[in-house]
Amino acid sequence: MSFSRREFTLGGAALAGAAGLPKVALAQSEPIRIGWLAAMTGPSSAPAIGFDRGVQFAAAQINAAGGVKGRKIEIITRDTQGDPTKAVNATQEMISQLKVHAIWGPTNSGESLAVTPIMARAKMPNIHPCVVDSLIDTAKFPNAFRLAPSNGQWDDAVRGYCLKILKVKKIAVIGDTTGYGVSAVGASVAAFQKDGAEVVYKANIDATQPDMTPDLLRAKNAGAEVIVVWSVTTGMEARMFNTRAKMGWDVAFVGHPSLSSGEIGKLIDKPANWDKVYAVGYKSASYDGVGKLPAKSQELIDRLTKAKVELGDTLFWWVAGGYDAIALIAKAVEVSGGTGSEGITKYWNSLNKYPGYFGNYTFNDKQHNGYPTEEVVMSAASSVKNGTFALAPGYKA
Amino acid sequence: MFASILASGLAVGAVYALIGITYNTMFATSRVMSFTAGQLGMLGGVFGSLFMLRWGMPLIVALPLVLIACAAVGVVTEFVAVRPVLKSLDQHLYVLSTLALALMIQQVAAIKWSTEPQPFPRLFGLGSGAFDEKFWLPVLALAVTVGGLEYLYRKTLVGHAFLAVAEDNFAARALGLPERGLRVASYALAGAIGGLAGFSGGELLLAFFANGALLNFYGFVPIALGGLGNNRGALIGGLALGLFQQAANFIVGGIFSSVAVFALFIIVLLAAPQGLFGHAGARRV
Repeated sequence: MSFSRREFTLGGAALAGAAGLPKVALAQSEPIRIGWLAAMTGPSSAPAIGFDRGVQFAAAQINAAGGVKGRKIEIITRDTQGDPTKAVNATQEMISQLKVHAIWGPTNSGESLAVTPIMARAKMPNIHPCVVDSLIDTAKFPNAFRLAPSNGQWDDAVRGYCLKILKVKKIAVIGDTTGYGVSAVGASVAAFQKDGAEVVYKANIDATQPDMTPDLLRAKNAGAEVIVVWSVTTGMEARMFNTRAKMGWDVAFVGHPSLSSGEIGKLIDKPANWDKVYAVGYKSASYDGVGKLPAKSQELIDRLTKAKVELGDTLFWWVAGGYDAIALIAKAVEVSGGTGSEGITKYWNSLNKYPGYFGNYTFNDKQHNGYPTEEVVMSAASSVKNGTFALAPGYKA
Repeated sequence: MFASILASGLAVGAVYALIGITYNTMFATSRVMSFTAGQLGMLGGVFGSLFMLRWGMPLIVALPLVLIACAAVGVVTEFVAVRPVLKSLDQHLYVLSTLALALMIQQVAAIKWSTEPQPFPRLFGLGSGAFDEKFWLPVLALAVTVGGLEYLYRKTLVGHAFLAVAEDNFAARALGLPERGLRVASYALAGAIGGLAGFSGGELLLAFFANGALLNFYGFVPIALGGLGNNRGALIGGLALGLFQQAANFIVGGIFSSVAVFALFIIVLLAAPQGLFGHAGARRV
């Protein structure tokens, strides 16, 4: 038996093609690996624990329904403990060893600042909920997308509530002495002044300062009609509420989501001291005057309750955000037809008011801040119920 | 405003003074500035909240337990961070060893307790306004501590032995005094004083892991102002610091009040490097 050179070449090509077939078939049936950078333990673990409930629930639901075009979702979690170094190590492991197809997280800005450039170099599709404005830059980090509002959007919402709903003109802005507190107070003061408000008092207070009387007295004497707070320090915030009560002053506090932290409830002298405090919240996680949530949020809560996912010790928006992140990755794989980085980011860039549970996301190649500012609202800080809050007074239901 | 400066300033100043005395008590028998002093204050608040609020113990049980627990931490400091470096005091290795232990204590408190301030119980429920117990309890604790130490050092044999070791530990050892045992005892005493500072100031400072660094820092100022090793100087320096700091909070506020405090601190040290009540030690030439 003899082979001509042409027959040999054709046969070789056919064999090579056949050898490649299983690989293609394998790629089309292998799981969709999603890296999840979660600070599950350590000082800033509360959000990640909440997000994780949504992540696991979404993955379980999608897989139970047959996966994405037959491909199961595999969540690969690494506990970063809120430590940027651990986040960097986990990211590198996910990219080079675990070969994940997309990464959700990290959940705090310190870690995200460290890992975003690494993901950009690897062109890794990344979606995260961190608030620092500089984390989104479509030129430097074209693969990074923000699912939650930026700090600037929080600032816009707080300012809008003070000026348009409370209709106050004399503002006091107070923050802590951390880098975040100083920069947030500076940005907030500048934005208020730009909008024509008078900032009558501004201060950065050491979080351990035991007596808030000096600052509140100065703000009161300056004629402040509202106190805007940019801090994550619940001890300082509770002390301000107690001092306000002792001074017999009924000024409103408006600001950072931490104003509604459950930790404050333990530190106030009496529950009434927490009244007239309005924290950044979200429409999807706010109930109206009769205790009714938006229909879509209620639908998710019903599903979560049925699946015995605990909501009493976390915030609803964390769970909904975690769910949306996994759903967005799954949808990108489904629409783009694969797990290629380019296809996933191209799909995300095409989204216009994608109806998530936490919000309606819009991305394009110039704007990766996907959360709409109009869905950021103020919540009555002391009104938490199953991780949701009452809308602050002044909003139309 | 004046009542607030006086009440809050004296209360915080009393806590600073007690931490200064904690530094002094440890320094007296070892010549070591232990940076665990502020952490002992923090632990006083944390243990107080743990025993009374979480475990539901009454004050009469909780207070002795807090003092014992903090005394134990003081003893651990002596064994772990002081004893190994005593032979090379001139190299100031104790700065590293005590600072490292202080950081470890702070991190363990953050992980095991909480990174958020936790409530501290009302101890007696007495007073209101400027006469609220949270303001006068630290001052009372300071008065009791200073009185107790004066009695110990002047009227008891153990106190005399402490003074002998503080004066010249080689001579004290030559006289047959158990120098090592006395040093351990002084660290236990310092631990209890630091714990009392945090416990009596708990209603004001809350049970917060970050208080350790604050107290380390502001507790050091009274002894620098009053003279190292001088408890009366620490008392006056601490109260003056508290009053000045609170007045600065009212007058300049926020970050600038810290600047005012440290500007004054530097001016005093430039004028009197040995502290206002200290004396320049003789140096052999």
